[in-house]
Amino acid sequence: MNDLCADIGWKSINHIGEQLCGDHVEIVEQSDTSTVIVLADGLGSGVKASILSTLTSKIISTMMAAGLPIEECVSTIAATLPVCSVRGVAYSTFTIIHIIDNENAEIIQYDNPHVIVLRDNVNYDYPKTEMNIDGKKIYKTLLRLKENDIFIAMSDGCPHAGIGLSYNFGWKREDIIAFMETMSMTGLTAKNLSTVLIEECDKLYGNEPGDDATACVVKIRKREPMSLLFGPPSNRDDANRMMSLFFSKEGKHIVCGGTTSSIAADFLGKPLIPSLDFKNSDLPPTATIEGVELVTEGVITINRVLEYAKDYIGENNLYEKWNFSSDGASLICQMLFEEATDINFFVGRAINPAHQNPELPINFSIKMNLVEELSECLKKMGKRIKISYF
Amino acid sequence: MKITVCIGSSCHIKGSKSVVEQLQKLIADNNLGSKVELAGAFCMGKCQKGVCVTVDDIFYSVTPETVEGFFENDVLTKIQ
Repeated sequence: MNDLCADIGWKSINHIGEQLCGDHVEIVEQSDTSTVIVLADGLGSGVKASILSTLTSKIISTMMAAGLPIEECVSTIAATLPVCSVRGVAYSTFTIIHIIDNENAEIIQYDNPHVIVLRDNVNYDYPKTEMNIDGKKIYKTLLRLKENDIFIAMSDGCPHAGIGLSYNFGWKREDIIAFMETMSMTGLTAKNLSTVLIEECDKLYGNEPGDDATACVVKIRKREPMSLLFGPPSNRDDANRMMSLFFSKEGKHIVCGGTTSSIAADFLGKPLIPSLDFKNSDLPPTATIEGVELVTEGVITINRVLEYAKDYIGENNLYEKWNFSSDGASLICQMLFEEATDINFFVGRAINPAHQNPELPINFSIKMNLVEELSECLKKMGKRIKISYF
Repeated sequence: MKITVCIGSSCHIKGSKSVVEQLQKLIADNNLGSKVELAGAFCMGKCQKGVCVTVDDIFYSVTPETVEGFFENDVLTKIQ
């Protein structure tokens, strides 16, 4: 066992005019420390391509996660995929990244652009073994993982970006590598790395993609615990117990809520100093308590965090907003989405009488739902979540 | 003199951002930066009466519409 984990994120754009993407990414957790990631690109675009790639990635990921050898996966796909009536072939290319015990990565590639591996932000030319399965040339690689390894799997829509438009021959592999080497230095998450790559492709296509383009990024990083305190305990006598449990946790601490932060400040015996700097945001300002990494207002801030979280696991259109701002919600997003891998929520169930005013858009049940919804989103980001109620 | 404005959830919804910004401007316009300290507080426990403001520990209930009157009556008069 080591303290590494895999941060996985992907983003697709569709062929212009298509509602469905012909590329498909499937992620299956085999165990706590092992994951199978499959990126499949179906022949053509639209419905047919989407069916081919979905079937391919689902079949491979399920079979691989069950421990079956790659030869069986490939022959199963060949026997299962429907044959295209126009072209007379059943065809979907695929890339498999199999993270084993967070120690090794097995890369299996069939006809997709080869996976780019960045080690310490520099391209790493890894060895490949050629195999022949049912007449298909398949490349296999086994790598020992190191912290900061970045794997970039792509569909051919990425290197084809800009053909005849920005570039004569598309976006060359060397240029994609150079672009991603620079981007990886900024410490972006896997999701954001895949997003900047796909946004660049979209730009090269002049926002009218001539093919589906997908990037899936796996970033190997150290586990990072973090704790977030939200709301005072329903029984005020529990405050000390709640605080000592919260502050005894390893890693950074975030405190959300006005009353909550007063309780935390009392517990630590340090002053609570609110700031009046609104940071060009419509959210309440943050505060500082010595010994706490971040202190913010409660419901309004967390509500915005949830909004950003929902976008992040979906279209990821708002990341530039929170990535480069320093209001309370943006700072929480940077800490929870980018830094943390294991998050402990300490949620107090006290009812704030002032919030029960029907004129206000916040009330107790909304507050409890916020935490539930946020933890669901964070789980989808691959974080491990624990919630304790007081 | 120290003016403290609550920036907690409830007061925020009732417009504490606007109250803070108006006060910042009024203090600057009247060149009172050296005499008046403007600070924030997270919750004063009187959310029903927000936006909660205290001037040297005396409590006032202010809204974005009444800030100017509050500043003239309760701040300026006390300074002179």
